[in-house]
Amino acid sequence: MKALFQKSPRWLLVLVGLAIFGIVRAPFEEHTRKKLVDSHLLLPPPAQDAIQQMSQSALMGTLGGLRTLVSSYLVLEAFEHFSNKEWEELRSAYAIVTSLEPRDENHWRDVVWHLGINATANMQLDETIPEFERKRRFNEYALLAVELAEQGIAQNPDSAVIRQQLAEVYREKLKDDCATARVYQDLVGLPEAPQYAERFAGYFLAKCPGHEQEAYDHLLRLYYEGEHNHVASLIITIKDLEKQLEIPRSLRITEPYPDLPGLTQP
Amino acid sequence: MSDSKTTLQSPARSVPLFSISRVWTLAISTLTQLIRMKTFYFLFAFAVLLLVIGNFNFASSPAQALSTIKKVSFGAMDLFAWLFAIVATALLIPRDIEDRTLYTILSKPVRRIEYLLGKLGGVLIVIGISLSVMFLVCAGMIQWQEMGYIADEVSASPNGISDETRQAILLIEKNGFHSDLAVAALASFMKAAVVASVTILLSTFASSSLFTIIVSVLVFLVGHAHTMATNFWLAETDNNMVVQMLLKLFKIIIPNFQIFSFSEGIVQGAALVPALIWQMTGLTGAYLVVFLLLSLLTFVDKEF
Repeated sequence: MKALFQKSPRWLLVLVGLAIFGIVRAPFEEHTRKKLVDSHLLLPPPAQDAIQQMSQSALMGTLGGLRTLVSSYLVLEAFEHFSNKEWEELRSAYAIVTSLEPRDENHWRDVVWHLGINATANMQLDETIPEFERKRRFNEYALLAVELAEQGIAQNPDSAVIRQQLAEVYREKLKDDCATARVYQDLVGLPEAPQYAERFAGYFLAKCPGHEQEAYDHLLRLYYEGEHNHVASLIITIKDLEKQLEIPRSLRITEPYPDLPGLTQP
Repeated sequence: MSDSKTTLQSPARSVPLFSISRVWTLAISTLTQLIRMKTFYFLFAFAVLLLVIGNFNFASSPAQALSTIKKVSFGAMDLFAWLFAIVATALLIPRDIEDRTLYTILSKPVRRIEYLLGKLGGVLIVIGISLSVMFLVCAGMIQWQEMGYIADEVSASPNGISDETRQAILLIEKNGFHSDLAVAALASFMKAAVVASVTILLSTFASSSLFTIIVSVLVFLVGHAHTMATNFWLAETDNNMVVQMLLKLFKIIIPNFQIFSFSEGIVQGAALVPALIWQMTGLTGAYLVVFLLLSLLTFVDKEF
């Protein structure tokens, strides 16, 4: 044995040692890797299409374990595109960023905000572009923002910030009250959901045709939940719904119409 | 008959097979050697990078700004740690040969394993100190920014803290500093330790530092693309049998550095799983022991 050890070339012995260690550690590493990915401590490999879109340097950085640095650099680059109103370039930059770090909700929120709010606002204002093209692009960016928000929610099911941003796109740009109500309702119960989400779900449901009764029941439940919910907007919406739904006077809330400046009592 | 007295020499003191104090002495001398190479100057560059990122007003929200500071600083820490592990380890043995320090050390009762362990220990001490300093600088920067953003939110609502303000503060705190980030720095240390052990093995074979550095960087890059490369090749070759065999061989020989990148998840706010952190610590220990023993295999009877 000693003679064999002395006669064998050292590189061969090292290779044998590496192979034995490799055989022992490979299953353990694979098991640990899966557990690390499942617990969100390790990022899954970037998607194939993201790899194809990356520049050589970005790819090398990603291969070298510099994903966070590469994505931070791309966010900077995207900010420059935002400053220059280069929406297509911004969209491409974020396609890579969100693929590199799919579990960072800030990236999803930002791309939805950039495309759904900024790019659409730019299309509303930029008179250098023909009107039909502005309308087409406005819809394209708004719908793309919705699609990206849904992808982000699929990756981060508990994310409140992506949903809040999505609700803003539906509310401010697409003027879709039913969808806005649905998104606010989805927010309810999430760990970082704002307290107003449940009320907002009711307000927008009240504007969604055919859902007035549902909105009334929802808001009334909130009203009877406690004093903390007796805010002016909730009382006004309930009172409006009471009239619209012709609720008997005896069942109506006793709270008077809030005396707000600029608000005329109907 | 001569009556001259012969004086007997006392027997030489036996040298213990392994001595921690000798390893420690070698580690401290390696630390001094690396300090003289002005390695800690990198910390100034790191501090400047943090200041630039901290004052760069590009983020859409305070949460995004804090998240970026964390990512850039921990990314830079990780980059520094593995790059330093490769370069410093690759330089040490050739420099000892060049300075003839190696001959002086090995002519004394120092075992070769002690020498290798001392060198590796010295590199790891430098990396440990650097990561600790960078972590403290980074923690200070994040907390300072976080306090500033919270103060801004509070001052923006003079009529008491509203729901929205409370929500914004929660979001800032979520993306701000938390003690788990120390484990992210530890993860970078683990990765650097494994990289250093691989480099020390390569440097016992190599004829020059440059060769060791280049091969180590290549092994690191390839080891980092483990999962990505295997998935890609299997998909491209339609699960070809030969490719599968080659990939198995590749997985066995090349260390999987990707799994040591779990600092990225911690920086992004993933909750720690202590059992997994212990497993990774154990794996790092195993890599260090095995690669040191393999290095010894080559180094034990190497002629200089």
